[in-house]
Amino acid sequence: MSRKLSEEEYNRQRLVRMKHWLSGEKDLYLDNVEVVLDGECEPDKRKLESYEHDLDEMKTRTYDTEHNRVYRFFQRFYKMAAVLCCVALVFILIMEVSYLPPIGSASNPASNEVAAKYIEDGLQDTGAVNIVTGMILDYRAFDTFGESNVLFIATCTVLILMRNDKKKGKGSAEEEERRDSHYEPKKDAILQMGARILVPIIMLFGIYIILNGHLSPGGGFSGGAIIGAGLILYLNAFGFEKTERFFTEKTYKVVSFGSLLFYCLAKSYSFYTGAHHLESGIPLGTPGAIISSGLILPLNICVGLVVACTMYAFFALFRKGGF
Amino acid sequence: MIVVEWLQFIIGIGFLLTGLGVFVVQVFGVFKFDYVLNRMHAAAMGDTLGIGVSLVGLIILSGWNFTSLKMALIIVFLWNASPVSSHLIARLEAITNPRLERHCEVKEGVTEHVWDENQKEIIRTQKAEEEE
Repeated sequence: MSRKLSEEEYNRQRLVRMKHWLSGEKDLYLDNVEVVLDGECEPDKRKLESYEHDLDEMKTRTYDTEHNRVYRFFQRFYKMAAVLCCVALVFILIMEVSYLPPIGSASNPASNEVAAKYIEDGLQDTGAVNIVTGMILDYRAFDTFGESNVLFIATCTVLILMRNDKKKGKGSAEEEERRDSHYEPKKDAILQMGARILVPIIMLFGIYIILNGHLSPGGGFSGGAIIGAGLILYLNAFGFEKTERFFTEKTYKVVSFGSLLFYCLAKSYSFYTGAHHLESGIPLGTPGAIISSGLILPLNICVGLVVACTMYAFFALFRKGGF
Repeated sequence: MIVVEWLQFIIGIGFLLTGLGVFVVQVFGVFKFDYVLNRMHAAAMGDTLGIGVSLVGLIILSGWNFTSLKMALIIVFLWNASPVSSHLIARLEAITNPRLERHCEVKEGVTEHVWDENQKEIIRTQKAEEEE
């Protein structure tokens, strides 16, 4: 037998109340906890003075090394113990080092068939002179894809926490930023001159490192970090008005999504063809040339873009709550 | 030829040791001084002179090749970047510390030019007498 519940009765049910509590509509502490508001606090001058006097007295008595024996003992003991701990640690570490396997020995656990395979066939398989890049962007490309996604997710998390959407009025992003950096030197002529000289060099160097990732030490992560640092320097020297002309939230979205999507599609394609022994149609080129080694160069560029955007986005979000 | 090699080695090692000496002085100064401007002075010494002399020593040891050029570029970069950052720290300290005259001689107070949101110039002055 069923009957219709009135709304009042329905609301009194335990499950409904729990649902309300979970969704945050009901505050358990509202009307249940007594709150006593503090009156206006007036500092008692005499008490404050006596307190400060006591504090000074306490400090002078505690740190009086000539008369306070306990403190003197503690100071000596502290120094002795510090030296003893350091010496013991150094001794333990040196003992440990002497037990490590010798460098380059054939029986080391690190020199197994995996490393041998990378070193022997790396150049032939990937076309990259730099074996490390060939490893992280060809053999273990999905791992690197996960790393790029970790950066993107980290930016999303910071965005959730630090975002400030208010455009105008009190508490808006601009005003908060101005209040935060009230004492910071703004439009500093020396910094601007330094940035004018250094930023192009930093950017060029970062691009060089990204583009040469498969030929020399470097790659997307380090080059992207350098470009991000250059962007941050530019932002510090010239302010948000200048950077927002070329880097906004929309730029970040497009560049990050585009890079990750291209990475995912390109690598999925090459893994699919590789797993089925199909012809992938991507030429490896001559090793050593700048345009060679198949997908590694575009993937390096993608990773570099994601890293640079992430660095800049972190800085802008922590500084202003948006960009 | 062996004389040139020995000369190169000795001069390079001499420069390197000089640079290391400057670094030792820098570390000592950074931990010895209490006030930020004094410590910055010590730190900047290592950042410019110490690293410059050390890298010159390395360039001489390495000889005339591409690595030397890279190291020379590192010197140029550091000599551009380090004074600018020191300048910014010193400026922030001079603006924000209300008791600046306790640590160094301030004759007419610190004057600072800033611009508000309408690009209007405001001159902030911090006089020594105002503070106490």
